[in-house]
Amino acid sequence: MPINSREESLLEGGSVTVTPPRPAEPVTPTVENDEPGGTKGGQRRRRMSSEKNRPLWMLIPGGTLMVIIVVLPMLLGIYMATLNLDQYSLRRWVSAPFIGAENFVEALTGTPLIRAIWLSVSYSLVAMIITLPLGIAAAVATQNSFKGRGIVRSVFLIPYVLPAFVVATVWRTMFQPGGIIDNALQGIGIESGLWLNGPNSYWTLIIVQIWASWPFIYLLALSGLQAVDHEVHEASAIDGALWWNKLRYVVFPYLKGPLSLAFLIGMLHHINNFTLPFVLFGLPAPSDVEVLPLLTYVTSFQSFRFGLSAAMAFVSLVLVAIPLFVYLRAVKLDDAETPGVRK
Amino acid sequence: MKFASSKGLSAVVAVAALALTACSSGSGGSNSPAGAVDGAGKTLNVLVASNAAYPEQQKTWMTDIAGKFKEQTGAEVKFETFANANEELTRIQTSVVSGQGPDVYGLGTTFTPTAYSTKAFVTLGDGEWEKVGGKDRFNPAALGISGPDEDHQVGIPFVSRPFVMAYNKELLAAAGIDKPATTWDGLVEQAKKTTNASAGTYGLAVAYKDNFDPWKFIWAMSVQAGNPLVDGDTAKLDDPATKKAYETYFGWLTKEKVVSPDSVGWTNSQALAEFAAGKAAFFPMTSSGSVPTLNKSAVADKYDYALMPVAAPGETKPQDGKEVASILSGDNLVVADYSENKDLAYEYIKLITSKEEQLNYQKIFGDLPANAEALKELSSDPKLDAITVAAEKSQATPFTGAWGDFQLGLMNVVVQSVPELAGGSVPDSALAQRLKEGQDKVQSSLDRAAKG
Repeated sequence: MPINSREESLLEGGSVTVTPPRPAEPVTPTVENDEPGGTKGGQRRRRMSSEKNRPLWMLIPGGTLMVIIVVLPMLLGIYMATLNLDQYSLRRWVSAPFIGAENFVEALTGTPLIRAIWLSVSYSLVAMIITLPLGIAAAVATQNSFKGRGIVRSVFLIPYVLPAFVVATVWRTMFQPGGIIDNALQGIGIESGLWLNGPNSYWTLIIVQIWASWPFIYLLALSGLQAVDHEVHEASAIDGALWWNKLRYVVFPYLKGPLSLAFLIGMLHHINNFTLPFVLFGLPAPSDVEVLPLLTYVTSFQSFRFGLSAAMAFVSLVLVAIPLFVYLRAVKLDDAETPGVRK
Repeated sequence: MKFASSKGLSAVVAVAALALTACSSGSGGSNSPAGAVDGAGKTLNVLVASNAAYPEQQKTWMTDIAGKFKEQTGAEVKFETFANANEELTRIQTSVVSGQGPDVYGLGTTFTPTAYSTKAFVTLGDGEWEKVGGKDRFNPAALGISGPDEDHQVGIPFVSRPFVMAYNKELLAAAGIDKPATTWDGLVEQAKKTTNASAGTYGLAVAYKDNFDPWKFIWAMSVQAGNPLVDGDTAKLDDPATKKAYETYFGWLTKEKVVSPDSVGWTNSQALAEFAAGKAAFFPMTSSGSVPTLNKSAVADKYDYALMPVAAPGETKPQDGKEVASILSGDNLVVADYSENKDLAYEYIKLITSKEEQLNYQKIFGDLPANAEALKELSSDPKLDAITVAAEKSQATPFTGAWGDFQLGLMNVVVQSVPELAGGSVPDSALAQRLKEGQDKVQSSLDRAAKG
């Protein structure tokens, strides 16, 4: 007890004595440097101990949740994919007939799955490649303060804040035959044809996806820009770098980390996006936009082939995971030593 | 990554939610059955579709019914709503798998076969029918989709929404037409006379982009031509009668030009709006649900309802015994097999299918009663006359668990043809090819149903 109380008092005393100098001497960074100087030894000790005896037990709460929420359902999903599970066997689904790989074979040969994966991945990639420069440009443009910057930044976020359902409904109305977009195009002499069915529908999906998702890139690019040290700007100014060189060689390296992350999350989000194509095109979807989520949805909830759709989901998971894995290794997103992070 | 897990995840979440609701509802004390059904302290869970057109009225109706039910039995009624068919389905699936959930479900008629095939709902014997007020209290036609046959019925009819055709009396009179045609061919002739494309007025308002309308046309015309699409274990999507139905349906736009070119992008409500604006002479495939809209529209005192044509395209009169005016459509009530409050459930159904409650419901929401006496009373109303006749001349879609795939297959042919439809003609070969693909799919689905 006495030891504890002394420690407590020490802590309290420590915090009391440390706080006052801060506001008093804001111009002397040496004081701040001194302060962690005391803990430097501690840090080193902690790093050493962390390599020997990492506090792995701290993973328990998160790990348990992960097992319950992610791993178990996924294993169940894989198990489901090997069952002949439909509305007839749903009620006693545990005893649904086991059919091994049949669902996988059917998914690959008897359904438009491969085409759906191609549509999903290609549309996601196109949308992403177009949104990247848009988002970066917007972030760079609003980096330096100017009058009304707050408003512009808020306006930029509107598409991101709106629910996908609302976005899709509004765009669907605009893309109607004889709707606003048709009229506007006619005004400049273009007969566009159908937007919500036929070959154009693929581009409709991309356009709406770009509109809805570029603020996400913008947000992450902005966070990357915030991480650029003020000294770096000064140093490059002293070195006489012009704006493009400064962007190219000084600022962009800082953005690599956040933008790689944005690319990854954005792609996954696009590939998994159900609401947008569902509300835009309805079901059954025109064959030009029968993307992965719509296909698995129809198989599950209109044809009631739960086993088959689980197999589809698994096959697509594997097919999408391979390039993602390669990408993750390439950008080393898990490496803490990315340029955007201060050492 | 999300796919594989999200389904399982939602199931876990739903099961957890169910467990919670089960806890809250299972807290009733033990009751000795005194006389009728004593539900004091118990709660009956009822799942119904939320009524998007009349949300406030629906809330009032629920409170009203819950009050009456409490007075009769002492039990509470707790309503849950679902916004669309998908939510409904998810709810049913989780309940079926977990064996707990609502006691009573309100289901769309075409969904009843799918629900039946899960075997999770009470098959009604004489005793059960007695408890809900007797089978003869219902309009016989409305029982057509309660089960695969007389002895295996799960659905208790609640309301009917038969399909009829609205027409604009003024436009018809101007074209010298005294009454709407009773054959599809006749309807096209009348539509031609009432079409004035330069003024933006067309004979028919048709919703080619709707997610449900198109299959209903194709089904109706097929049945009228003697092909109900399912013959025992054989699918008949590739039947010439069905192809003819598609050609007729597409032909209104491409050949006869009696519908607006914009209609390739219309849903049912947009077609209704076009008719309500006085820009179409006929609006086929609508129900009494359109009454409130039309009564507030520009055509409020100019419109009336008629039966849809009953003679198949190319025919001059209906085939004997096939005078099908509408798909049997509406809502059924089913009682969950796992329910521990079955008697209360029957009591509830008895209450809401009584003559008074059914008439009251019609007044608020426009849906026709399934109660035979109530229906009879309404047939004296001139606006509802045609609709009540349609309710009696309705025919059910085939009772098979594969019906969902049929609907999907029929719809898919239309969806994939829309670009060509907008372009001015759907090539015969493309149509034949799509029908063949559809046929293969529904046949394999039917094979599964036969095994299941």
